[in-house]
Amino acid sequence: MELQNQISARTLKVWRIIGFLECLITWIITIAVLVLTIIFDWTPWIIGGMIVLSVIQPYLGIYLLPLIKWRRFRYEVRETEIEIQRGIFVIKRTLIPMIRVQHVETNQGPFLRKYDLASVEVSTAATVHTIPALDLQEADELRQYISKMASVEEEDV
Amino acid sequence: MSEPKRLHPIAMLLNVIKAIKDMLVPIIVVVVFGGDKDGLAGTIQLVILGSICLFVIVTAVIEWFRFTYRIEEGELRIESGVFVRKKRYIRFERIHSIDVSEGIIQRLCGLVKISIETAGGAQAEAVLSAICKEEAERLNERLAEAKRNKMLGEQPEIDLIAEPVIKQESVMTFRLQFPELFLMAATSGAVGVVLSGVAAFVSQFDEIIPFERFFGEYEDVLKLGTFLLAVFAFVAALIVYMLATIGMMLKYAQFTVEKKEDELIISRGLLEKRQLTIPLKKVQGIRIIENVVRQPLGYATVYLEYAGGSEADKDSLKVMLFPLVNKKHLQKYLEQCLSDYVADVEVEPLPARALPRYMFRRAIFFIPVIIVFIYFFRPWGYVSLVLLPISISWAFLQYKAAGWNITNHQLLMRSRGLSKQTILFHKSKIQSIESKTSWAQQRKQLSSISALIKSGIAFREGKVRDVEAKDFDAVQTWFLKNSRTK
Repeated sequence: MELQNQISARTLKVWRIIGFLECLITWIITIAVLVLTIIFDWTPWIIGGMIVLSVIQPYLGIYLLPLIKWRRFRYEVRETEIEIQRGIFVIKRTLIPMIRVQHVETNQGPFLRKYDLASVEVSTAATVHTIPALDLQEADELRQYISKMASVEEEDV
Repeated sequence: MSEPKRLHPIAMLLNVIKAIKDMLVPIIVVVVFGGDKDGLAGTIQLVILGSICLFVIVTAVIEWFRFTYRIEEGELRIESGVFVRKKRYIRFERIHSIDVSEGIIQRLCGLVKISIETAGGAQAEAVLSAICKEEAERLNERLAEAKRNKMLGEQPEIDLIAEPVIKQESVMTFRLQFPELFLMAATSGAVGVVLSGVAAFVSQFDEIIPFERFFGEYEDVLKLGTFLLAVFAFVAALIVYMLATIGMMLKYAQFTVEKKEDELIISRGLLEKRQLTIPLKKVQGIRIIENVVRQPLGYATVYLEYAGGSEADKDSLKVMLFPLVNKKHLQKYLEQCLSDYVADVEVEPLPARALPRYMFRRAIFFIPVIIVFIYFFRPWGYVSLVLLPISISWAFLQYKAAGWNITNHQLLMRSRGLSKQTILFHKSKIQSIESKTSWAQQRKQLSSISALIKSGIAFREGKVRDVEAKDFDAVQTWFLKNSRTK
């Protein structure tokens, strides 16, 4: 049974920008290594590997992986529990009962802000579970809803 | 009891020892790598060392002088600090437990050290490093009073009430017997810690200890051959092993667990005494470890996972409930201490199709090692082929050990790394559960399940790999039913 809610489609853009920036770093390093290889006459194996990486990484990091990750991520917030599904190669499904939620917050990094998105972070006594990107308004509503549902029952750790 | 009090003056000595401990590394650096011990450089070094000593001692005295505590308006008020003045007021109701411990210095002077733990665990708790026993007793009584008042819903009038309190009966639920203590110390693996400590120590000091001269005198002996050297190494290892064993025995001698109302009191130690009080409601789970040596003998070590302890005190994060217990008696002891948990259950075994995955996981670890050995160290590299049966039987043991069980409100998860680990979770303490399914697992309709509880300042994860995919649904249903009815 697949979970209902997906994260915002704009998330894909944000992840692709981040993937592009990561590729940029690889390219800069590749160029630096290329220059050093020419100057110091290093073995061509290193630069060969770097060039292969600079070609493959854009495909994986900008196109494929964000797409799979986005498709896979699903969540459902019900009255008594939160369920999150995530992962690329390994699908992880997490179940958090509402009464275990200690607090919930929304976060907005610079990229998310540009696309009017926010992440929702749900903390239990043990760990933090993240829904990476929702519409800002949706995220705020979700935060308030979880916070309201979680405070119905207080329990000591 | 509202006038400010100081600790026993011996606290000054404790402060000095603590300061030296904190500065051990810089001191060693100065002493070992200081270089020239003669002339001007040597004098400067001496002056620096001398002033550090003086500074430490003066600070320790001022620290003692500034540290006062008092009980006022239902609060424990501690004021301290040499350069930065600190005032810490702790309401009695907020205090969860008072731990009493006695170091060697405290024991010689008939004093105790008490650590005060508040809710939240991670918060810095207060430590009174040296006070007399009667004083500790009084503090404990006040605390008990405050708790009772809180329970009755009254306004705590702690300063006025001076009635003698009725002490609650405590029940001895576990006592570590001598044979078990010995077996536990001998199979603890503490020798590894000691050996690495010795190695680090020796490598630190080989510059100042004249090994060459020392061994030079025995050069003739060394010429007698490797046999003697081997014997020497064996004897040395044996001695270290014995020392480590004795150390562990001193640490865990007189180990007892008492149950008192809604608290567990764990005490241990011969030279250094330690007492840990854990409120039952802070217990999050039970972890049973059977290492490779102890398992064939039918023994296990039981740890208590609880929400509390502090990072500064490593011992408070890894709490042993039973350092060594015969598995036959485990259930009986567990019932007396924590009746919510049952260890005596049959686990749901893994399906047979999970076995190849266990084999594969070990194989990808061992086979490259074997290939590298054979490739580079022929013909002796072929000896590494013995790793093959080892990896197969290891994988098989891991497969056999793994499993899970649900009994009433308890979820049990069992798995093996090297040691067999069984974790008992009470459903009201599980923070979240998770399933992980890789592509290969999905094809075989398997998945890995895990559950999280709070433990110490972090968390503890219980995990079983490659169970039936539908098992997670069963766990999920059980888990949700709990949270709905709660």
